[in-house]
Amino acid sequence: MRHGKYPFIIGFLVVPVALYAIFVVWAYIQAFYLSVYEWSGLGPVTNFVGLGNFQKMIHDTLFWQSIKHNAFLLILLPLITVILALVFAFLLNVGGGHKGGVTRGVWGSKVYRVIFFFPQLLALAIVAVIFGRVFGPDKSGMINGLFPESWQPWLFLADERYAMACILVVLVWQAVGFYVVLFSAGMGNIPQEVYEAAAIDGATRVTLFFRITIPLLWNTVQVAFVYLGIAAFDAFALVNIMTVDRGGPDGATSVLSLMIYRNAFEFSQAGYASALGVVLFFVTLSFAWVTLSATRRESVEA
Amino acid sequence: MAADITSPVAMRARKKRRDDNGSLTVGRSRAGTIVANTVGIVFGVLMLFPVYWVLNTAFKPADEVLALEPGFWPSNPTFDNFISAFKAPLFLQDMLNGVVITLFAVAGALVVGFLGALAIARFSFYGRKAIILVVLVVQLVPFLALLIPLFLMLQNVNLGFTTLNLTDSLIGVSITYLVLILPYTVWTLRGFISGIPRELDEAAMIDGCTRAQVFWRIILPLTGPGLVATSVYGFIQAWNEFIIINTLNSPDKQNLMAWLLQNQTTRGTAWGPLMAGAIITSIPVVIFFLIIQRNIATGLTAGAVKG
Repeated sequence: MRHGKYPFIIGFLVVPVALYAIFVVWAYIQAFYLSVYEWSGLGPVTNFVGLGNFQKMIHDTLFWQSIKHNAFLLILLPLITVILALVFAFLLNVGGGHKGGVTRGVWGSKVYRVIFFFPQLLALAIVAVIFGRVFGPDKSGMINGLFPESWQPWLFLADERYAMACILVVLVWQAVGFYVVLFSAGMGNIPQEVYEAAAIDGATRVTLFFRITIPLLWNTVQVAFVYLGIAAFDAFALVNIMTVDRGGPDGATSVLSLMIYRNAFEFSQAGYASALGVVLFFVTLSFAWVTLSATRRESVEA
Repeated sequence: MAADITSPVAMRARKKRRDDNGSLTVGRSRAGTIVANTVGIVFGVLMLFPVYWVLNTAFKPADEVLALEPGFWPSNPTFDNFISAFKAPLFLQDMLNGVVITLFAVAGALVVGFLGALAIARFSFYGRKAIILVVLVVQLVPFLALLIPLFLMLQNVNLGFTTLNLTDSLIGVSITYLVLILPYTVWTLRGFISGIPRELDEAAMIDGCTRAQVFWRIILPLTGPGLVATSVYGFIQAWNEFIIINTLNSPDKQNLMAWLLQNQTTRGTAWGPLMAGAIITSIPVVIFFLIIQRNIATGLTAGAVKG
């Protein structure tokens, strides 16, 4: 199978590589270039400031707050979502017990599969509006409304201490269904015989989960971690719509991407925004490197 | 294809044999089953409640929506909210825009992504690792970091003989969305193609297939579930995107998401029409998902090679 492979390789790759080169590589070169200029976003780019934008960043407390919030999401969002999704995918596929030679999911597992996917289908704009009601800071809020009159209502998004946690809850709520479906698909590819054999040998649900499901799904789990990492950086949409004062109260929910957007398209600080973009670039690269090397582990062939 | 020991027919035969011996229940306790089901139900309710609330609001007349005591069911269900959503300025226009943009982006990404994934999964060549790395890196970095350069590039597309301004156009956004969903498409399809045993390729080539025929007649059909799964994800991504389109285009060239967002801020408390608009917006995604959700979990290659 060695002869004549290069025409295929070149033919297959020319379009995607060209698109990447233009829309990503070239775009990044421009972003790096703009990051050393002070530029409003309009007119010629002339005011070279060297590392001035980065110096400004170091002294910007909002920047450090934003980094902290991104880190918070980056650690907790993938962890919580993957654990929940794995458990529920397992319940759907294997949790119902093992009868008559067939391993089954819990009752109505087909219905759950649809239900869990629903949040993924709702636009973020809608999700944000709904959870604005759920987290209402007075008695009209869905959660506060559940408690008796004497209850001192939680402020949720208006409380600096819990605002970020509220964002995290919404992100998990929205993401988990997709990963349940993704993991279910992976579990469907694990041969029944493997579960059957283990069950006959006396394996409990917990043993099946840790000794069979997880090792055989490891590649998919790794992909999930990477994707949820992106979602953590993309919290922009939700933060932008949901939070008090967009990123508030008092910067308590600001994230890096929100800073980029506001500087570029509202504060006429396109140069500074580009510098923030460069930082985001390196932060995500570091994340990629850490995730991929930390989860690298020989996966088991099914 | 070789005999498939995991096929439903084979399973049924085995199950029957077991039942004849008196149903064989292995391993796990009844209590565990109850716990598992309870957890499932609680979680299902949590997942579904906000969706139910959207439906509830959309079918309520305006005075019920704003009532202080929230009703758990519309006492006078009405379609007024849907009608006023459809009549709202730019709703139909933005809906059509969204359809055009999404179809272009998903179809384009599938074709381009499938070929790219084939090259990466089936050939070893110089620079292969570099390409995989770039694909990974690109999908990791939030697109927001590229919004400024993207804006500048689309503003001034140099074709050699003429320059175009592709901001505030459907073409610019369509291409951007294609690029946006391409990394996921390539990465996922690569996984699906790698899962097809190379022995199948070799067997087909020994039987006289050319390499192109192998791709077209063996790999493409076997990647079916992968193509379905990636197109669903791409569809949802492109259909639900609103940040890029909101930044690049004016309201008459945006999609329904951007429309919803705009109306959320300008209309304030008109929740009924807004929720109706949200439902209409979600319908294509829901239908698409319901059609394919059975296929998502189906792997075609299981048992294609013995042992």
